Amino acid sequence: MSLTLTCPICGKRNGYEFRYGGEDKGPRPEEEGLTPRSWCDYVHMNKCVAGVQKEWWFHRDGCGSWFTTYRNTVTNLEVEGPEAKE
Amino acid sequence: MFGKYKPLWGEKTRLKSSYDAVIIGGGLHGLATAYFLAKEHGMKNVAIIEKNFIGFGGAGRNTAIVRANQRTQINVPLYKEALDLWPVLTKDLDFNLMFNNCGNLNLMHSEAAMNAARMNIATAQFHGVESHLLDAKQVKEMVPALNISPDITYPIHGAMYHPPGGIVRHDAVVWGLAKGAVKLGAEIHQQTEATAIHTENGKITGVETSRGKIHTPRVLVSAGGYSAGIISQMLGVKLPISVLTIQAMVTQPLKPILNHVVSSGAYHCYANQTLKGEIATGAHMDPWPNYTTLTTAYYIKHQAQALSEFLPCLRGIKFMRHWGGLADMTPDMAPIMDGNDPIDGFYMNCGWGYFGFKSCSSTGKYLAEYMATGSCPDILKPFNLRRYERHELMGETAALVNYSPDN
Ligand SMILES: Cc1cc2nc3c(=O)[nH]c(=O)nc-3n(C[C@H](O)[C@H](O)[C@H](O)COP(=O)(O)OP(=O)(O)OC[C@H]3O[C@@H](n4cnc5c(N)ncnc54)[C@H](O)[C@@H]3O)c2cc1C
Ligand SMILES: [Zn+2]
Repeated sequence: MSLTLTCPICGKRNGYEFRYGGEDKGPRPEEEGLTPRSWCDYVHMNKCVAGVQKEWWFHRDGCGSWFTTYRNTVTNLEVEGPEAKE
Repeated sequence: MFGKYKPLWGEKTRLKSSYDAVIIGGGLHGLATAYFLAKEHGMKNVAIIEKNFIGFGGAGRNTAIVRANQRTQINVPLYKEALDLWPVLTKDLDFNLMFNNCGNLNLMHSEAAMNAARMNIATAQFHGVESHLLDAKQVKEMVPALNISPDITYPIHGAMYHPPGGIVRHDAVVWGLAKGAVKLGAEIHQQTEATAIHTENGKITGVETSRGKIHTPRVLVSAGGYSAGIISQMLGVKLPISVLTIQAMVTQPLKPILNHVVSSGAYHCYANQTLKGEIATGAHMDPWPNYTTLTTAYYIKHQAQALSEFLPCLRGIKFMRHWGGLADMTPDMAPIMDGNDPIDGFYMNCGWGYFGFKSCSSTGKYLAEYMATGSCPDILKPFNLRRYERHELMGETAALVNYSPDN
């Protein structure tokens, strides 16, 4: 189940160099009018998709970049996102 | 496996078009719930819908460790009842579950850890669960194979010793419960995948399966690592869960050397000797969500390194088999059991991560009560989903696990 990820700066690297940063949930919600439920939604709740998801990664043992990428959680392979196809 | 053979629990039956309750997932928790629904509440018109075969999930992949020395007052009573139930179930199901209460030794590698253990032990003793603190010398006397020398990465300072825990044969639990549930009237439908859950005006009305539609007012999602994906995809209810693959492995068989379950948080490793003589060991997971259940060379190496430090007599021993399964992790390392919120008749039982084998009996019993009466038994109330938005996380872990980042 080897994983490789493409860092925007360092290129394709071994997955163990990175730290997973969670499902992409869009922008952080505005503080104004924020309810415990919507904050909890942002902080804790996941879709747990069996398939392709957009997610955050941190190049911990590398350049320190945070970036998003697409990965298929069933095959554990990084895949091209919809943006790339446009 | 399916062909001409008759299942252990009896003849195959036709899938009906309506049931009083449908249970999605033929794992430990689903089977236990069906068993207790029939046994204690007379609810027998129940179908267990299993996508593959019973025991396909964590039920058939776990390392079978049972114990009741958890961290919080909320969790301990549920696990204690489960531990006390093994001999009772063995008798009631008339099926040898091979409960080997050899005791668990949880190694401590610092004085801070020893203090944390004192706290854990006090909680256990308060709830009538036997648990003691041992120093390094006592640990060595109990398990001579352990290395208590100070020159290893994480020297052993002592251990939390929990005599009533041990190992239960996991496949026997699956078979015993399946047989028991069907004998009392429940139906098991293998090779039947739930594909949608139907609701109307906030109430459950049925389940769509790969073999047709079922009408029912009650659905329990008890699909182990697949639950969070199912619930989010079919009902739009998101859960605070990350699904990771956890691995385990066994060595070649050896003469008896280890008569306890030994575990170490610092080494991220546990080990026990099976009745066949293999050392069963595991604990780690690749820290990114995935549904592959594939194994990695990375962890064979990790496991070999850890074991050769604290059980040095295992150096050079070969691993024979290595496998993976899913662990659905919550941020507080405690499960989510809830019902009728936000949909009437919808029940869920998930977030059991890598520790949901030991609890299946008591959980099944209380979930059955919940589903039969519609009201939540007190013991399950704290495990509701809304605890996360109320910021009432359970603290089953000293440090917040974040399987998203780090770890
Ligand atoms: C390697 C490993 C080691 C472990 N070690 C321990 C241990 O030592 N002690 C301990 O207490 N716990 C341990 N666990 C955890 C334990 O195995 C799980 O918590 C437990 O199996 C959960 O039980 P369950 O009944 O909820 O789910 P499972 O046993 O996983 O069963 C879920 C079932 O749902 C089915 N399913 C999925 N999707 C669908 C669908 N759409 N329709 C119909 N059916 C579906 C699956 O096929 C599966 O059979 C371990 C787990 C693993 C993987
Ligand atoms: Zn980089």
